[in-house]
Amino acid sequence: MNRNEFPPGSAAALVLILGSLIWSLLGAGLQLLATSQLLVPLLDRLIAAPWFSYGRLVPASQFLLGFGWLGSGLLGVLLILAPRFSGIAFRYGRLLFGGALLWQLSIFGGLTQILLEGPSGLVGLPQPHFVSLLLVLSFLVLGTGLTRGLGRTWKSGPVLPRLYLLLGLLAFPLGLGTAEVLLRGTSAPGSVQIITQVLWHSFYQHLWLAPLGLVLIFQLLPTLTGRAVNSLHLGLLAWVATCLLGGWLGTVRVSDGPIPSWMQSAGVIAAMLMGVVALGNGLLIQNLTEGRWEDSRRNVALRFIAVGAWSYASAYLLLAFLALPWFRPVLAFTVGWSAFFEIFTYLFLGSVLAGSIYALLPVSRNFGWPSSSALTWHFWGTTLGSGTTASCLLLAGAFQGLALNDPGVPISTLASYLRPFLFVAVFSQAVWLFGQIVFSAVLLAGLLRLFPAAAPMAVFRDPLVIRPAAVDPLHG
Amino acid sequence: MKPTRALFIVLGALILTWVSQAAVGYWQVGRLEPVLNEESNLTEPPVPSGLAHTGARVFAAEGCLECHSLSVRGPSSSADLTRGWGVRRTVPRDYLFREPAMTGFSRIGPDLSNIGARLPDTEKLMQHLYDPRLLKKSSTCPPHPWLFRKVPAGPRTEPGALKVSPDGWHQLVPAYQAKCLVAYLQSLTVNYALPEAPLK
Repeated sequence: MNRNEFPPGSAAALVLILGSLIWSLLGAGLQLLATSQLLVPLLDRLIAAPWFSYGRLVPASQFLLGFGWLGSGLLGVLLILAPRFSGIAFRYGRLLFGGALLWQLSIFGGLTQILLEGPSGLVGLPQPHFVSLLLVLSFLVLGTGLTRGLGRTWKSGPVLPRLYLLLGLLAFPLGLGTAEVLLRGTSAPGSVQIITQVLWHSFYQHLWLAPLGLVLIFQLLPTLTGRAVNSLHLGLLAWVATCLLGGWLGTVRVSDGPIPSWMQSAGVIAAMLMGVVALGNGLLIQNLTEGRWEDSRRNVALRFIAVGAWSYASAYLLLAFLALPWFRPVLAFTVGWSAFFEIFTYLFLGSVLAGSIYALLPVSRNFGWPSSSALTWHFWGTTLGSGTTASCLLLAGAFQGLALNDPGVPISTLASYLRPFLFVAVFSQAVWLFGQIVFSAVLLAGLLRLFPAAAPMAVFRDPLVIRPAAVDPLHG
Repeated sequence: MKPTRALFIVLGALILTWVSQAAVGYWQVGRLEPVLNEESNLTEPPVPSGLAHTGARVFAAEGCLECHSLSVRGPSSSADLTRGWGVRRTVPRDYLFREPAMTGFSRIGPDLSNIGARLPDTEKLMQHLYDPRLLKKSSTCPPHPWLFRKVPAGPRTEPGALKVSPDGWHQLVPAYQAKCLVAYLQSLTVNYALPEAPLK
């Protein structure tokens, strides 16, 4: 296929997706290094340099995984998907390409600044001011392109993905802009700064990343299973509830002190209600995936997106659990919260992103997958890796919380409580990284056409069943 | 659903969230003022020095928040007070002069809200920064040797040099950043009474 045959925006999507792969490997690598340092503290004495310290590796990896891997990747697949909502193609392909390059440049700038100069200490904003500015600028270009995909009238095509896309597109610039102005643009009193940080973190996780993931779930699951969402009213209710409650979820993490009590209570109630919302969306997902086990055994995209969809419900149910008054004081300040981060980031958004790439990229770039067994390695590596890490961290968090709340336990022995769990977590993070490396290799090999395509569509190897490729997700 | 209606719902929800947290939060705690201690004639919380102000940036840049929190919880929900991390719970007014205001969500190490009162000794804080195992063998806190200059030991002791030497041939002189960081740590105190948080 001639490169001119690709639609405008396709190059931008490719830059964003390839960038997201690089940042995912780097981010997960840094996270693995940081967890290893926690497990073996002597490691940070090997290289006595600030950029190698635990305190910089953790924020750097979180920045890379959030903005670099998920932000970049989700925007990339949405650039492929959005024009299909309305049938309106992008017009300014070069502008989008520039926006995509700017996004990668800002991630690189943020990474080097965090490692060399250190994080800012603000929740969800470890990057310096100029990086945020570049991110907003780039997002305005890419987001404006995506709004074109929404279409002027919504008489035909899916509604739920468009609604979640609208939410994600508006929440990011509003949240980041407000946070930057209040935290670094003006001298807001310290007592207000913490509220603003928590507010931005809620916008970032629950009103930007999660809705972008839900766009892909509600667009691709019906296409891949050939079923429609069975209750639009339930879907609409869940969407309105997400809009209203998402911004409050960050306050659950603050325990006592820094912010007014009523905000913490509101956060707890919002987290409980979001658990109900997740169950509501879970009912829609159940209807979409029920009886499709055989299909998901073969179809890689379907299996990844189904895992992502169920992990979405699990993540918010875990959040509701963490907010319960009996568990919140115990699990506050513990690695138990990292379990939520793990499920939310890796299992929900990571799986949905991988599934979407499997479903959309080969069709849009006209290539096939060189190996079926590599796809199996990718699926089991990433799913088992992140699932095991999340379970370990939750258990470790429970032990850590009980120890923290027992004054008889010296704080210096806390690390020994965590050690067995961290050992398994390091191993499972390495397994996830292995799966992602396999995925990156097979995707690059397919894009560069280094090997002949074994399967035009991503399917798992099954010697007993040979089926034709399932539905083309771009054209239904 | 019509696109315009959806747009209004999203914008309305986002603005409502923003107003009810940032704006109401500003109205409720942003206008708090320090309290005058009539005995000492000083304000509480105390205004940090310029050195401590810079030290807050160093504290953030070194990533101390990844292991230490800056928020003491009350006795009803935790053992923070029993552990001696503070004499009362922290309240929003305590963060009034902190720039940037940090709270931290992780406790691999102890809470540092009241470290200035718990460990006021400059030499010990410096030694801890250089190598925490000098003070406690079992410490898992990472060392920060880049905050110190190694100067060959001679007949004259450098001003501010630590009393410990890494090898007997060198003396350790704290860099400006280490001095700022220690000043910041010493400024972290919540051992004063506030109207909403009296001392027990």
